[in-house]
Amino acid sequence: MTDRHDAIEREVRREAERASLLGTTRRAFLGRLGTAGIGALGLGWAAADAGLRVGKDAFGVGGLDGLDLSRPHFAPKARRIIYLHMAGSPPHHDLLDPKPALNDWNGKKCPEELLDPENFAFIKGHPEMLASPYGFAKHGESGTEISELLPGLARHADRIAVVRSMHTDQFNHAPAQLLLYTGSPRLGRPSMGSWISYGLGSENRDLPAYVVLVSGGKTPSAGKSVWGSGFLPSVHQGVQCRSSGDPVLFTRDPAGIDRGTRGATIDALAELNAMQCERNGDPETLARIAQYELAFRMQAAVPETMDISVESPETLERYGATPGTASFANNCLLARRLVEQDVRFVQLFDWGWDTHGTNPSDDIVNQLPKKCRETDQPIAALLDDLAERGLLDDTLVIWSGEFGRTAMNERRNGSTHLGRDHHPHCFSIWMAGGGVRPGIVHGETCEFGSRIVRDPVHVHDLQATVLHLLGFDHERLIRRHQGRDFRLTDVHGIVVPGLLA
Amino acid sequence: MPFPRRFRCRALRATPAFSIVLAVAPLVAAAAAPAAAAPPPSFNRDIRPILSRCIACHGPDAAARAANLRLDDREDAIRDRRGGATIVPGDPDASTLLERITSHDPDLVMPPPGAGEPVSAEERATLRAWIAAGATYQTHWAWIAPDRDATTPDAGGAWARHDLDRFVAARHAELGLSPAPEADLATLARRASLDLTGLPPTLDELDVLLADESPDAYERFVDRLLDSPAFGERWARVWLDVARYADTKGYEADRRRTMWPWRDWVIRAFNADMPYDRFTIAQLAGDLLPGGTDDDVLATAFHRNTMTNDEGGTRDEEYRMAAVIDRTNTTLGAWMGLTAECSVCHDHKYDPLTSPEYYQVLAFLNTTQDADRNDEQPLLHWLAAEDRAARAARLRDREALDPAAEATTERVAEIDREIAAIDARAIAVPVLREQPADQRRTTHVLGKGDWRSPEAPVEPGVPSFLHPLPSDAAATPDRLALARWIVDDRNPLTARVHVNRVWERLFGLGLVETQEDFGTQGTPPSNQPLLDHLAVRFMDDFGWSHKALCREIATSATYRQWSATTPQTLAADPRNEHLARGPRFRLEAEAIRDAALVASGRLSRTMHGPPVFPPQPDGVWQVVYSGDAWTTAENEDRYRRSLYTFWRRTSPHPAMTTLDAGSRETCAVRRIRTNTPLQALVLLNDETSIEAAGGLALRMSGTTPSIDEAIILGFRLATARTPEPDEIAVLRDLYDRTLVGYRSSPESAAALLESARVTAPENGDAPELAARIVLANVLLNLDEFVTRG
Repeated sequence: MTDRHDAIEREVRREAERASLLGTTRRAFLGRLGTAGIGALGLGWAAADAGLRVGKDAFGVGGLDGLDLSRPHFAPKARRIIYLHMAGSPPHHDLLDPKPALNDWNGKKCPEELLDPENFAFIKGHPEMLASPYGFAKHGESGTEISELLPGLARHADRIAVVRSMHTDQFNHAPAQLLLYTGSPRLGRPSMGSWISYGLGSENRDLPAYVVLVSGGKTPSAGKSVWGSGFLPSVHQGVQCRSSGDPVLFTRDPAGIDRGTRGATIDALAELNAMQCERNGDPETLARIAQYELAFRMQAAVPETMDISVESPETLERYGATPGTASFANNCLLARRLVEQDVRFVQLFDWGWDTHGTNPSDDIVNQLPKKCRETDQPIAALLDDLAERGLLDDTLVIWSGEFGRTAMNERRNGSTHLGRDHHPHCFSIWMAGGGVRPGIVHGETCEFGSRIVRDPVHVHDLQATVLHLLGFDHERLIRRHQGRDFRLTDVHGIVVPGLLA
Repeated sequence: MPFPRRFRCRALRATPAFSIVLAVAPLVAAAAAPAAAAPPPSFNRDIRPILSRCIACHGPDAAARAANLRLDDREDAIRDRRGGATIVPGDPDASTLLERITSHDPDLVMPPPGAGEPVSAEERATLRAWIAAGATYQTHWAWIAPDRDATTPDAGGAWARHDLDRFVAARHAELGLSPAPEADLATLARRASLDLTGLPPTLDELDVLLADESPDAYERFVDRLLDSPAFGERWARVWLDVARYADTKGYEADRRRTMWPWRDWVIRAFNADMPYDRFTIAQLAGDLLPGGTDDDVLATAFHRNTMTNDEGGTRDEEYRMAAVIDRTNTTLGAWMGLTAECSVCHDHKYDPLTSPEYYQVLAFLNTTQDADRNDEQPLLHWLAAEDRAARAARLRDREALDPAAEATTERVAEIDREIAAIDARAIAVPVLREQPADQRRTTHVLGKGDWRSPEAPVEPGVPSFLHPLPSDAAATPDRLALARWIVDDRNPLTARVHVNRVWERLFGLGLVETQEDFGTQGTPPSNQPLLDHLAVRFMDDFGWSHKALCREIATSATYRQWSATTPQTLAADPRNEHLARGPRFRLEAEAIRDAALVASGRLSRTMHGPPVFPPQPDGVWQVVYSGDAWTTAENEDRYRRSLYTFWRRTSPHPAMTTLDAGSRETCAVRRIRTNTPLQALVLLNDETSIEAAGGLALRMSGTTPSIDEAIILGFRLATARTPEPDEIAVLRDLYDRTLVGYRSSPESAAALLESARVTAPENGDAPELAARIVLANVLLNLDEFVTRG
C-alpha cells in the first residue's frame, strides 16, 4: 500500500510541477485523460474500448491488445533482475574456480584428453597449461573461495551462490551471447528481458520495463540483438540508457523548445487528436493521446532517474561513481536507482573481458586486474546498497560472461603475454538475492577447470531457473511465431533446485 | 518417459496414452443435441480449429505421436483399436474421443491438464454433431487450389464496382452489415497515394484531382500513382522485409556488404510491372535461366541477403548451412506462406511436411557455390544499364574498325581504355552460382537440424501433399525447376499469398491475418471466396501483374469506403474483418518519415544507388572490431526516401525500429503495429522530425499573410484536409502563446531555427518562424498525419 501511496504522491507532485512549469491553465478535459473527461467529450464509448490502455503503464504494456500477459504463473521470489554481464567472458580459473593442480602443470603441454575432441577458436597445435597467477582464500561462514582480485565480492561470500558448472554450446562471442540471452545462437529471437517484460508487464508509468546500460566503450558482440524483442511486440525490447548524451534516445527536446513549449504542444496535440477521435471514433487515437502524455512524463522521469549527481557524496564514493562520465560504476548505481523505481530488468554490459593474451591490453596480468578494479568495488557497493534498502530480497542479481576460458595459455602467434582462449565446456557465474540460496557453491569442474564433473548447468537451465524465480514455468511462457510455439529455453532447460533458497 | 525431459519440445509433452482404457461411467449427453435442421458442422470451419489442439501429439509428426493415434487422418482416427475407436462415424456415444475430452479425471482428460486449452461444452456439442453426421474430413483449405470456375455472388447491386465488391457484399448480406459511404476525394487521394507509392500527394497533385470533374477522375489519379517511380520504391520497401535485405553481413562485426544493386533491381522490377512469376523465377534461379542476362543473375542476390559470419574461429560450414536453412524457410514462407521452421528438426507438427521432405526442398538450394566465405564469393561484377549499353557500343565500334586502316591500332587502344574505364565502375554483388555438376554437395537430412549430424541422403524434390514438379523438369531437377513449381498455375498458395500481402498493405489486415502462415495453424481466411477470386484473377486475368492487382483493389467500392466508426460498427466488427467500412491504420515507419519530408518540401526524389546516412543520434553505432562510423549526410542524401537509409542489422536506424521496423535478420512478412511513448518521442524530437517541421514552417511562411491561412496551408500539407474552425483556433492559440515566448526569448527562436536548419527569410521575423516550427511540429505529430484514414 505504501508503495502505491508513494507512487500517487510522486505523480501528484509531478503534475503540480508541470502545471507550474507551464504557467498556463491546462484545459480541464486534457489534464488527465480520465474517462470522465473523455466521457464529457462524448468519447466515452471509444474510451471504453480503449479501456485497458488509457492510463495504464508506460510503454503500453498492460493492455495493448494482449501484447503482454501481465501475470506470472505462480508467486514469484524475484520481482526484478539486475544482470551484470562481463562481455568477452572472464577467466573462471582466475576469479571463481581455483585450480591448484594447474600449478604443477604450468607451462607443460596440456594432457591429451583435453585436446580431443576440441575445437579452439584461436589456439593452434599442442598448447601449454596456464596456472592462475592469483591467490584464492576462503571467505565468510560459507568458506566460498574467491580470488584476491575480487576483495569486494569476497565480503559478500555468504550472500552469493557461485555456480562453477555452467556450460554452453557456443564458443564465439556473438552466438554465445545470443544463446545466453535469447535461447538460440542465431539472431531473431526475443531476449530474456523482453520475455520478462512480456510476461510481467511494467510497474512504472514513466520508465521502460527493460533498461540496458553499456560500459567499456563498446556494445556486446551480438549488438542490440541481445536485448531485442525478436518476434515479441517491439514495446518489449530493451531500451538502452546512455550515460552520456541523451539517456534515452529522443527524450531531449530540440534546442529552442523548452519544457513549457513542449507541454503546450502536447496539449494542443491532445486537443486536436481528441477532435479527430470524435470524427473517426478510432480507439487507437485515444491510445495515441495517452502515449504522448506518457512520453512527456518520461522526458522528465528518465533524466531524473538517470541523474546520479543527486546521490550523496558518500554513495558516489562507495560505488566509485563520477557523475557525467560513462563507467561501470555509474551503471551499477543507476541499476539501483532503476530497480528502486520498479524497472523490471536492468541489463549491464561491460566490455573488455576477452583476455586472450595477445598484448597487455587483453591479458590476464594487466587487463584482468584492471577490469576487476573497475568492477569489484561498484558490485560490492551495489549488493550492500540493495541489501540496506531491503531490495535484495526480491531483486535477483546475476554476474556472468557468455562462456569460460581455457586452462591453457593461448599464445596466439607466439605471444609472450598470458591469456586464455574461449572455452564453452565450463564457466563460473554467481547469483544473489531474489530467491537464490545464499552462501553456496554449486557444481564442480575437473582438476584443470576444463570439464564439469558434478551438477552441470546449461545456459538453458539458467534461463529456466531465472524464469522460475520470477514466477514462470519456462515451458509455459510461450509465444507462437511462424507456426510454432517459441520460448526462451527453446526445447530445453530444467530448473536447478539446488540454486533455490 | 520416452526421452529425457530436457530434450523434449513443449509440443512433445508426453501425455497419458489414449489406449489406456479405464472404465468411465458413460457420460450423460449433457450437450444438447443439435437441432435437426441445423447443417452438419464443416470440418475446415468448425472442427479443424478444435482438433488442431490435439495435433502436436496426435498428428503428422511420427516421432512425437502419442498412443499411435492420428486425429488429422480420418482412416487412423476411425481405426478399430482394442474393441473401440476414437471416432465412430455416426455414433458419437461409441466414440472414445468424446469420452476423453469430457472426463473429469486429470489422468484421462484430453488435452491433459496444462497441455492445451480444454474443450468447451459448445465445442463438444459441435464435435458430437460432426461425428453424428458421419465425421467427414476435408483437406486443409489452403492445399486445394482456388476454384477457377467459382461463380460471382449476385450481391452488391449498384454499389459494386468490381466483382471483388460482390464477394464483400455477399458477406455483408450474411451478417446484416451494410457498406459505409464513399470517402471524400481528398481522403481517398491521400489513402491511395500512401498505399500505392508510400508518399502522400503533393498539394498540386491534390488540387489537380479535386478540380477534375470527370467521372473517372479518381481512377485516373490511381493510374498516375501506378506510373509514378515512387510506386516501385514503395513496393520494394515491402519486399525488402521479406527478403531480409540489409547493407551488412550480420553477426559479430556486422561489416558492410554491397547488396544495393539488388535493391535497385527490385525497384525497377516493380516499376516495370515485371509479372510476379517472372519476378519469382529471376530471384530464385536467374543464374540458371537460359539466355539469362546480368540483371537476372543480379536478381539472385535475393538469397545472398542471408547473413555471413566472419568472426575469427567460426566454422564456415555451420554458417553456410544456417544460410541454406534460412533460404529454404524464406522460400517457402515468402512465396507460399508455409512455416517450415519445425521441419528442420522433425516432421512438421501440424502441416503435412515431413522432415525428409523439408530437406528435399533444401536440396534445391544446397548446391550453390557460396560457403560463408569472408570474400562473399561468388560475386557478379555488375554494370548499370547505361554502362552496359556504352560498353556494348564500344565493342561494336571496335568490331567495325577496318583492320587495314592506319589509325586502327591507336583507336583500338583508345576503345580498350574506355572499356576498362567502364569496367572499373562495375560493382561486385554476391549472387547465386550453381556448383559444377561433378562437385555438387549431397544433401542429407540433419539430425535435430544439426549440421554435424548428417543422416539419410535426399534428392531434390517437393512435398507430396502439393502438386508435382512441372513435367518438363530435368531428371535431377534444379533451382529453376523449384522456381517454376512455385509459380505453377497449379500451386494453391503462391497467388493467394501475394494477393493477401497486397490486401494487407491496403487494408491493414490480411484476408488471412497470419500472412506468414497459411497452414493449419494459421488463421483461416476471413473471406475465402474473395481471396480465391483475387488469386485467380491475378494469375489468369492479370497475368501476374502486380500493378493490375493494385489498381483493381484501389479502385474497388470496398476500398473507397469512409473509415470512421460508430459505437455500433465498432461493436459489430471491431477489427473490420468484414469490410463494412474503410481501413484506418498507422503508417509504417518509412512512410511516416517520407510523408514528413514531402510535407516539408525537403524530400529528395533521387532514386537508386548506394545507401545513405541521414541524421541519427550520436553514439548509436558503437561498433565492435569493425570500427565503422556513421557519417551523417550534409547534402540532399539527408532527405532521401527512407528505403535508401543504410541498414545495419545489429543496429538499424533507431527511429525506424522504434516505429516497428524489424531487424532484417530473417524473413519477416508482417510487421506488428504498436503504439508507444518512444514513438511519440521520435516524432517530436528526432533531428529529421525537427528539420521536416522547419521545412513545413518555411512553406507556411511563404506568401501567406495571415496566421490562419498559414495554418490552413500547413494542415493541408500534412493531412490533405482543410481544418475546421475549432482546429484552426487551437493552433492559432498555440501560435500566439509560443510567439510571445519566442519574442521574449530571441535566442530560443534562433536555437530552434538552427535545430530545424532554416533561416528566416529576408525581412522575416525569427520568432514568427520559430512559432511556426512549433505549429509544424504539432501538425507532423497529429494522429491524422501518422495514420491513413
